[in-house]
Amino acid sequence: MDAQRADALPVRYAGLDDIVNRVPVSVVWEITLACDLACSHCGSRAGTRRRDELSTAEALDLVDQIAELGARDVGLIGGEAYLRKDWLEIVAAIRAAGMRCDLQTGGRNLSEERVASAAAAGLCGVGISIDGIGATHDKLRGVSGSYELALAALRRVRAHGLSSAVNSQINAYTLPQLRELMDVIIEAGATNWQLAITTAMGNAADHPDMLLQPWQMLEVMPLLASLAVEGRERGLFLQPASNVGYYGPYESVIRNVLDPEIYFHGCNAGDTVMGIEADGTIKSCPGLGSAYAGGNVRETRLREIWEKSEVMAFNRRRTVDDLWGFCRTCYYAETCMGGCTWTSHALMGRAGNNPMCHHRALEMDRQGLRERLVKVKDAPGRSFDHGEFEIVVEPVPARPAEGIVVNG
Amino acid sequence: MAESGRIPVPLRLCRGCRHFVCVDDREDCVFCGTDLDAADAEHEANVMEMRRAAQALRDALAARG
Repeated sequence: MDAQRADALPVRYAGLDDIVNRVPVSVVWEITLACDLACSHCGSRAGTRRRDELSTAEALDLVDQIAELGARDVGLIGGEAYLRKDWLEIVAAIRAAGMRCDLQTGGRNLSEERVASAAAAGLCGVGISIDGIGATHDKLRGVSGSYELALAALRRVRAHGLSSAVNSQINAYTLPQLRELMDVIIEAGATNWQLAITTAMGNAADHPDMLLQPWQMLEVMPLLASLAVEGRERGLFLQPASNVGYYGPYESVIRNVLDPEIYFHGCNAGDTVMGIEADGTIKSCPGLGSAYAGGNVRETRLREIWEKSEVMAFNRRRTVDDLWGFCRTCYYAETCMGGCTWTSHALMGRAGNNPMCHHRALEMDRQGLRERLVKVKDAPGRSFDHGEFEIVVEPVPARPAEGIVVNG
Repeated sequence: MAESGRIPVPLRLCRGCRHFVCVDDREDCVFCGTDLDAADAEHEANVMEMRRAAQALRDALAARG
């Protein structure tokens, strides 16, 4: 990639040098679990603070440790990050350390005063979660009126000259509204739109009706491709999350960042992405559960966790032999390595077999089959927990027959 | 010194069906049968032609002042 094109990419995009040197280019930091929304899909089951969240001094020290590792972008999340009293101090410290800082928020109480103070502290951009239109958003976010408040926050962010993005969930409720939602957020001034498939973790694991079925990837991917092309023409840059894909004829269109040859090359957790929980727990990806925690900065320096924790190294250790089910013999196995670790673990109880895949849905469809997920075990009710699902392989509805239960 | 991350296994884009294919597939696309090298060559030629046309347009606009 030439230098000019590389300069135009968002700073959180990792290049080959970043992978080779294993730079945590993008750090996603939950600075509090306190939240003013009650989202029915929340993976961390946010609401009240964690028992032992980092103090201001600990948080500021952690900023320095993140910078020492060469991170370029720190995204603050929650819960709701602005509910932490010292959040602007943390923003200012991140900027002073030479890193980009963005806020990901539900926007319910992102007041004019808060946006102005954040801009003054150096905040670079804000991503507002908007899931569907009006009542759909309000239902998913658990607060009546939250849709209008989120849109108002987006306009406020735009008015202050901050980069304005929207994050949306793709699930059974929002899928039919994505096209209309794109019109709404373009009108409100968004320039980036990150879309993620709702993953069966935390509260979402308690609502299987909300989750997409694997065969729906046949609908999702052409739609996203069409929105990506149209959005680009209208000044909106669509960014699929790592759990959206994979391959098939639309991969190039939806993941195109100034280069049509960009494709999903496997989960990057622990290689160029790091997640931090509010109590100082370090993970290789913000969405992963406690089984993937590499340590806590209260006990171990961040560099030591990042460089030496075996738990954080699962991506580097994973081989095709670790894959199972369809993914084990997939044409893309060596590149994809089972897609998003978070998605497959949350659904199947362990990584390496990911039914939420376009290529897989296409291959099944070619045989007149489709996969359906059936929940067989509830989640225990903890932050970042998950239940368990079985895959039912069945003929597409036009050819009804008895379903066959398999375990991947 | 940190251990290196996992180096992605490269794929190439089939210009015929837009599927990515393994770089070891040196002849025809496994999905649509397109001759990969020939399609790449045709794509390159088209890109060059578009660049020439764009430059000609820029030159013409510049000449008009």
